[in-house]
Amino acid sequence: MFSKLFLGTTEVNFYKLGNRFMKIFLIEIVIFISMIVLSISGYRDLNLSVDFTGGTTYQLSTNYTQDDISDVLNNTILKVSRYQTFENSNSILFRAVESTQERETELLNYLSNKFDVSKDDIEFQRVGPTFGAEITSKGLRALIIFLSIIVILISIRYEFKFAVIALIALFHDLFLSYTVYELLGLEITPSTIIALLTILGYSLYDTVILFDKLKDSQKLFKRNQLTTEVLNKTFNEVLMRSINTSLTSAFPIISILFIGNYLGIDGSLSDFAIPLLIGILSGTYSSIFVTVPFLSKIIKTN
Amino acid sequence: MKNILKFLLLPALSISLFIYVYFNDVTPKLGLDLQGGISLILTAEEGTDSELIEQAVNIMRSRIAAFGDVQEPEISISGENSVLVQLPGITDQEKAIEAVGTTGLLTFRPVLDSSLSVGYSPALEIIENPDDPENPTINAPEGVDDLTGLTINDNPNKVSYLLSLSGGYPVIYELGPAVLTGNDISDALAVYPQNEWIVQLVFKDDSADKFTELTKQLASLTGEQRKLAIVLDSQVISAPGIALDVNPNVGIIGGTAAISMGNADQGQSANNLAVVLRYGALPVSFERSSIQKVSASLGENTLKLGLEAGLVGLIIVSLFLILYYRLNGLIAIIGLSSFGMLFYSTISLLGKYQGFTLTLAGIAGVIVSIGLAADSYIVTFEKFKDELKIGRSFQYASEKAVSEAWKTILTADFVSLTASVILYILAIGPIRGFALTLGIATVFDLIFTRFFTKNAVPLLTKLSNNSRSFFPIKKEALINV
Repeated sequence: MFSKLFLGTTEVNFYKLGNRFMKIFLIEIVIFISMIVLSISGYRDLNLSVDFTGGTTYQLSTNYTQDDISDVLNNTILKVSRYQTFENSNSILFRAVESTQERETELLNYLSNKFDVSKDDIEFQRVGPTFGAEITSKGLRALIIFLSIIVILISIRYEFKFAVIALIALFHDLFLSYTVYELLGLEITPSTIIALLTILGYSLYDTVILFDKLKDSQKLFKRNQLTTEVLNKTFNEVLMRSINTSLTSAFPIISILFIGNYLGIDGSLSDFAIPLLIGILSGTYSSIFVTVPFLSKIIKTN
Repeated sequence: MKNILKFLLLPALSISLFIYVYFNDVTPKLGLDLQGGISLILTAEEGTDSELIEQAVNIMRSRIAAFGDVQEPEISISGENSVLVQLPGITDQEKAIEAVGTTGLLTFRPVLDSSLSVGYSPALEIIENPDDPENPTINAPEGVDDLTGLTINDNPNKVSYLLSLSGGYPVIYELGPAVLTGNDISDALAVYPQNEWIVQLVFKDDSADKFTELTKQLASLTGEQRKLAIVLDSQVISAPGIALDVNPNVGIIGGTAAISMGNADQGQSANNLAVVLRYGALPVSFERSSIQKVSASLGENTLKLGLEAGLVGLIIVSLFLILYYRLNGLIAIIGLSSFGMLFYSTISLLGKYQGFTLTLAGIAGVIVSIGLAADSYIVTFEKFKDELKIGRSFQYASEKAVSEAWKTILTADFVSLTASVILYILAIGPIRGFALTLGIATVFDLIFTRFFTKNAVPLLTKLSNNSRSFFPIKKEALINV
């Protein structure tokens, strides 16, 4: 099995599988749409960080009890909307609404006294309500320009149809990440947005390498268009590279998660690592399971 | 021989650069999230003139410099209307945020005396020494510097001796306690009605009476004492006198006042004064859209985690490559470690000479680029395998593989590069750091593919023609497909 996979001589008929993959893809679409409907109708909320909603956070390391936490939640200075504790570390994070600077400082003093932690050792973050909107709108603008350029590039180098498939694979990866975030209730921070942008990169990179391979095989069979044999040969051969590449990309990221967990470090770097891992897995998956059914469709219309 | 030199060129270059950086103690400049400190983003209203924002940034810089406690503060314009303020390792955060974010303390204080009458600060009492005329005895009241005659720590509620530089020459004023502040002003405008620039001042409704009271009092006096000083952050920016036709029994009424500014400089000083009166020190008012405080220990931990994870990742990737691609894997490891050294050196040097700071997002970019760089090797080696499979000789296959792989990698890297350039130009804050490291890494990846892998892989096939040296599979299996 390994040597077949290694040599790319697995004889999977991807063209035939196209229909089955399409069904899986459609099921995914239904899931994505229902997740979006759920979040729009308010049944499930995305867990947005203060960067997007506005507000303040206070994070400190201390020995706390459940009573301490409820004391803080019932304080009269600021409304503390949520708290978060971390495994393997005695960090605790409180999220409060946005208020005047005096109030925020007052709560800082309160926490400092209550947990006997120096004010300088409390991580404090405050975000105005407009900041998240700004990041989001600037990010979206960058995204639209980027995607337009990519469509043009792929159309020139390959075909317009290929550009569309690359976009479908890309949005598939984004929606899959969105769904995982919504289901697991992971917090969405600016780091998540950066990670999502990286996922875009991975997804496109993977798809482009695949298209390149398709073009090579086309040349090999002396065809000027996609055929069943070109498709099958390409995907049988490309399997091993896909697996190897996702493994080598995933290793550093998995090590962030493991070492971070082992050292009891929470927060920012894991914020990158989780979505990146989801993205790499999804990117590898989509470069085969999402592109194949659409490429089969192209062959059919040819 | 020539080929060996060619393929060793890049690793040698990377190693020597790394040694240079290492022995000159150049290390990457760490962002706040990695070394601790305060970072805040101040946002002005949409559509604010960029010149005004630049002015504000300059004022903030000088204020932070006056603040002292901060090492290497960084204040920069980010995006269209935001200012990013980064204060590493600061302890007194309240004060620091106050110093950059607020618009400054503007007060109106009656002039009691000035250096114009005696030639030196009215605070100083100079007693001639008949024996030694060069060194008179100087007496200064408490809290006043006995050399300059200026109050050291100005308190707006007490008598102070403050400097004015606005007239083109220094004047020291003795000022009474503040009567009005910037909060009492509702508007200020520079206008040019007739032959002369005027700053029109409008007080808020409930402050107008206070101003009338003050002017009544001042109008009954003469000379320097008839002046009202406008003080901003302990500096007198203007000290207009009350016009001679103001009746001491009535004062200036109606809640408005006009300060005549002459017309020497086409209204520039009038405009500046109006701006200061309107906004305080900063020409624009800012909203604190984000404040983030990171303690030094969290920063250190994150950095440690990033470095360790990067290293462990690199080791696992190396092991994997060598087990799977054997001799070629070795090439990949030499390439990847040179890549790492070159990358580290570049980031350190950029930090030193261009002020580039390595942030958490940047580290994420680095970790991602390890994966991308490793993939370039995998693409090449897989092409090599494909060529062998169709019966090419090792030598020919390796040469064909590197040139074919180059085309593929060029296309794929072009996508990454486009992404990083667009992100760098359009995005704000942390995303830019990410884009920059990713972009640098992609360029390095291209350089290594073109000048290192391309020379190294064909060289290896001269050493061995055994497929076991390159793949975990026998030659017969490889070729008899």
